[in-house]
Formats: sequence, structure tokens, C-alpha cells
Amino acid sequence: MTKKKKILFTAGTHAGLILFISFLLFPLFWLTVTSLKSTTEIYSGSANMFPHIISWSHYASVVREEHILQSMWNSLIVGIISTIGSVALALPASYALVRYKSPANNAVLGWILSSQIFPAVLLVIPLYVILRNLHMTDSLFGLSLVYIVWSLPFVLWMLHGYMKGVPVELEEAAMMDGATTTQVLFRVLFPILLPAIGASAVFSFVSSWNEFFFALVLLKRPDYITLPVELAQYTGMEGQARTGPLAAASVIATIPSLLVFIVMRRWFASGLIAGAVKE
Amino acid sequence: MRSLTILISCIVVASLLFLFVFNQKTEDRSDQPTKLRFVSLAWQEQALATNHSIVDEWNALHPEIQVDYVQGSWNSIYDYLITSFETGDVPDVFHYESGIIVDFAVRGYLTNLAPMLSDDTKHDILDIAWSSVTRSNGEVVGIPFLIESLVTLYNRDAFEQARIVAPTASNPWTWDELMSNAKHLTKDIDGDGNIDQWGVGIGLRSSANIIMNLSISFGGSYFYKENNAYVVRVGEPERKLLNVIHRSLYYDNSAAPSSIGQTGANMLPGFMSGKFAMLVGIGAWARQQLVENAPKSFRWGVIPPLKAENQNTGISTQTLSIPKKSKRQKEAMAFIEFMLNSQNAARLAKSDWMLPARKSCLAMKEFNTSPDGWDVVTNGVRFLKTGSWLGVPGYVEWKSRVVNPMLQELFANRLSVDEAARRIEVESNIVLQRHQMRDPQW
Repeated sequence: MTKKKKILFTAGTHAGLILFISFLLFPLFWLTVTSLKSTTEIYSGSANMFPHIISWSHYASVVREEHILQSMWNSLIVGIISTIGSVALALPASYALVRYKSPANNAVLGWILSSQIFPAVLLVIPLYVILRNLHMTDSLFGLSLVYIVWSLPFVLWMLHGYMKGVPVELEEAAMMDGATTTQVLFRVLFPILLPAIGASAVFSFVSSWNEFFFALVLLKRPDYITLPVELAQYTGMEGQARTGPLAAASVIATIPSLLVFIVMRRWFASGLIAGAVKE
Repeated sequence: MRSLTILISCIVVASLLFLFVFNQKTEDRSDQPTKLRFVSLAWQEQALATNHSIVDEWNALHPEIQVDYVQGSWNSIYDYLITSFETGDVPDVFHYESGIIVDFAVRGYLTNLAPMLSDDTKHDILDIAWSSVTRSNGEVVGIPFLIESLVTLYNRDAFEQARIVAPTASNPWTWDELMSNAKHLTKDIDGDGNIDQWGVGIGLRSSANIIMNLSISFGGSYFYKENNAYVVRVGEPERKLLNVIHRSLYYDNSAAPSSIGQTGANMLPGFMSGKFAMLVGIGAWARQQLVENAPKSFRWGVIPPLKAENQNTGISTQTLSIPKKSKRQKEAMAFIEFMLNSQNAARLAKSDWMLPARKSCLAMKEFNTSPDGWDVVTNGVRFLKTGSWLGVPGYVEWKSRVVNPMLQELFANRLSVDEAARRIEVESNIVLQRHQMRDPQW
């Protein structure tokens, strides 16, 4: 390939990437722009790319009048508990499935995978009854338990794939040097598994942060409402919505999720492809 | 050492979690006044403020019965309620609409409120509103408090420029007159070959409600009772409105093509910006959006109900109901009586820009003034009729799975009116038969 062709190819690739990224970012951009327009401008029907006059009134209204901060706090609590819970359960489970060979392993993995087949709407009533018997309906902890169970199969599969790629020789070498099983787990395996753990944690956190249906059904008290349920309340009859406040609340809601992703993006990227190829 | 630290951390986390759960349980157990849970679907800012204010007033007056206000949403209330009914953890009072609660009652989820009504409530609410929540066995499944009526809005400037005189209550337009004026109003204003102003916009995305309610003026019914069972017929009276709309979209070109994929609410910005000279079949609540969000120079009005064989339209009401599994039904009813007394019912209707269901409210001056079209909307009450579909087992499923998709295909010109009518009949009756087999007592 000549130098000119190379330059053209690189420019074409970059142009394609810029277009693709613009396509992905446009909804977020439009959401932010809408949140900064006045209500009259939103209803004017003109699709301006930028607001005529930047208005913070929707943000002020969301923070002042609504329960957005409380619902964000609730979502954060639920997200943290479910993330810690699902990773803490999936990590030893995946280790056992990889290291301790048994005829039941494949059956267990198949069963875990098959649990993902059932739609939420099918599970919600039995789940509700179980939680009610445990006095855990209308409780953020009860909802966190549901999220742990809900995200566990995927997290387990992710960690299982990564764990399979870690050579057993590393553990054996550490043991030869006198390390105990605990030391092997925490000093040898844990640092190697960190990218996968990070990626699983991001997945678990984001899925619980965005989950709507279980939160809607399982939480009744207004002060326990989570963010997606709070956002749904900005919509009214016949698909109408309080567009300005809804956009402002959605921008606020996106921030923590975005921050978690930015902080852990390196882990997330490397963790996602972890275990994809068996060497 | 590090393992010990990790172990201690685990214990601390576990203890915190335990405390978290324990705290929640002790909160529930402590002595408190009777608590009622009220799920409201108010969502416009004024309506939210009014609902909160009424609940606060009740709580101040009744320290022994405290109401927890729970904000519901229209998009998710159906799933929320179904799971509540099935699991038994129900709100004590909930806000919804007549077309759906009757279906809930058929499935045995709701308390019959007839024996609990006060004389004032019983006699002051319009009979037509009661008919929207009364089963054929006499059970009252909700208290109607807001009437959702469909109106036609028009752009005064567009009418004046086209020298069209808006109809009045004493001299209403027929559908033919509406469509002929719509053709007049459809214009390419800037001469670029594209139409800039359409005569009418109609939110047709989920059009079952609009079509069925407006078909009544053509003598359309959709539901007929044969051999003690409901059947759907799309005969000549039902096809008339379908033909009118289909013709305006594809032959007269007076209805905006964007009508097909949008709800009435989605079309409001277009109406405000002058893209549609009239907006047909939109809820009376839309006036609030015009008052609050339209440019100051935008002048609009409300057209009285259109005439076909008559001016009748179907009624749909917003209601408060008590689930059968509520353990505090008496207290819940007392709260409803307070919430919907004449004064509060007027406040609720005014803040939601809908008609109150009480006669005493309708007589109030504020619902009979010309600005914002209150007089025209209130005057339309006399044309409200109960749709034949109210209380039909399976109506909710029928509407969402059969009629809405079929009408979408019709208005997208993928089906002719005859073909759509034939398919609606066949598919509707499959759904109805299934439900009627399940509920033979109906």
C-alpha cells in the first residue's frame, strides 16, 4: 500500500469512527440540550441544535420539587450492595467451577444459563411472595437481593471465562514457595482477576442502576423509590411527558453511571474480552 | 494479617447490612396511626401540587388516619396494580381510569363501593359518569371524578386568514364541513411546493380510544350482544369514521401524514407552530399545554363536538377505587369522600384541565368561562354517552392487541377499510371468546 493510500485509509477509518461515535453520543447530546431549553422552546416544534437561551430552570425544578436526590441515593445503595453481593458470590463459585472438576459442573453452568431465559414478569409474583415471607418487600436490601440473583448468572459466566484463562501453574508455584490457600487466592489470583472483577462490577452496578420493573413492584414506600421509577413519573397520559424536567432528571441520572464507567473503563474493556479466547 | 483485615471487613459489612434490615423492620413495627396508601397518577405540575395539598389537609385534620401519597405513573400503573392484586400487598386507594378498572372488577380485584357511598356523592355525580364505573350487576367499582372528553382545537389566526368562521354550540360543524374546511386550510404558504400548513392533525398512533369514542356520533358501537355474549361488528356505522380519516390522509390530503405515527400529545408542538390548523380528537387537558407553553402570540379556540348522525361521544372517566384486599376499606372510603368533595373535586379538575364529574362543580363559574375554552368543553357534557365496550371482559387486551395495531395498519395505508374491518372482527372475536369462556357469569 502506498503512503497516499495509507493516509487515505487512516483518514477514512477515522472519519468512520467519528461518525460512529457521533451516532452513539447524539442521544446524550440531545438530552442535555433539551434539558437546557426553556419549556416554550421545547414546545416550539423547532429542532434547534443549541438552546436560544440556556435555562437551568428544569434542573432547579427537579432538585427543588422532586425526590430525585433521594431516589439517586436509594439507587446508589442498591447498586453498591448488589454489586458487592454478586461479585462476592460469583468469584468463589467461578473458582470452584474451574478448579474443582466434577461431572456436575457442566450441568450447573447450563442451569445458571437457563435461568436467564425467564422474563422478569414471569418471576415477579413468586419473588414477591418469597420476599414477603422474609419480610423483605418494601426494603432496599430485599431489592438488592433480587438484583444479586438477577445479575449473578452473567457475572458468574464472565468470571468463569476469565478464571479459565489463568494458568493453574501460578497457584502451584506460589504453593511451592510456601503460600497458604488464602494467600494464593488473595495475593496471586485476586490481582490477576482484577480487570474481570472490575468489568463484572460495572455490569452489575449499571444493570441495577437502570432496573425498573422489580423496583416498581417491590418498593411501595415513596422514600424508597429508585431512580428509574422516579423518572417514569414524569410521563403522563397518551405518551405525554414533562419533557424539560424529564430531560434534566435523566441527565442527572446518567452522571453516576457514566462516572463509574469512566473510572473503570480500562478494566471494563479488558474484562469484557476476558475468557473470550482459550489459549 | 491481611486475611484478618479482610475477615473483619466482611464482618463489618455483614453487620451493617443486618442493621439496615433490622432498622427497617423496627420502623414497621413501631406504634403508628392507621396508614393508608394512596397511589395517584397526577403528573402535571398543577395537578401534583393540588393532590399533595389535599392529602396534607386530610393528614392535618385526621391525625389518627394518615395517608401516604405514592406517586404512580401512567406507563407502569397497570403492571404495578396487577402484581399488587395478585400478591395481596395493595394500595388502599388508587387512581386510574374507568375503561380498565371495570376489567379489574370482572377479575374480582375491586371492592363494590355502592353500599359505602354517601348520599351527597351518589346524587351529585353525573349519571353518565356513574355509568362508566357501574357493572351490569349494580356493583360500583370506582368513584369517577374527572371526565376525559375529546375536543377539537383550532388555530384562530389560520381560520381568520382563510376567512373561515369557527362553529358554535348552536351551529356545530358536521364531519363533512370539518373535512372540507380542512382542505381549504391545507396550504403551501411559502410556495416551495411543500405543504406548510395541514388542515388537520389527528394523533393516530394508538387510535382505538379516539376512533371508538368518536364513532358513537356515526352510530358506531363495535360491541354488540348476541346470545348473551359480546361480539365485535365493524359494519357500516363503524366504517364511516374510518373512511373519513383514511380519505383525508390519502385522497383529500388535508390530514397531516405525521398523524399516523404520533399521539395527540406529540402533535401539540406542531399545532403551536402552525403546522396543523386543527387538532382533532385530543383530550381537553391539552389546553393546559397551550396556556403554559404556546407562544404568547398564538391564538387558539375549541370547536364544539362534531356532528354526524348526532354529536355524541363516548365517556371515559378517571376514578378512585379500593382494592378488595385492602384491610382499611372504611378509612379508605372516608378519605375518598374527603378527596372528592365538591370543593376538592373542582380543584382537581381545574388543575388537571379536565371536567369534574360532579354537577355542583360543573355549575361553578370557573367551568363556564370562555377563555381557554372551558364553556365549550363543559357544554359538551350533554353529548357524552357510555361506550358499549365498558365492562366487556378482555377489553384491555382487545384494545392493545387487536384494534390499535390493526388501525395503525389501516392508517398507514397497508390495509383497506374493508380488509381492516374484516380482520378486526375475526381477531377480536377470538380474544373475546377466550375471555368470555373464563368469565361466563358476566
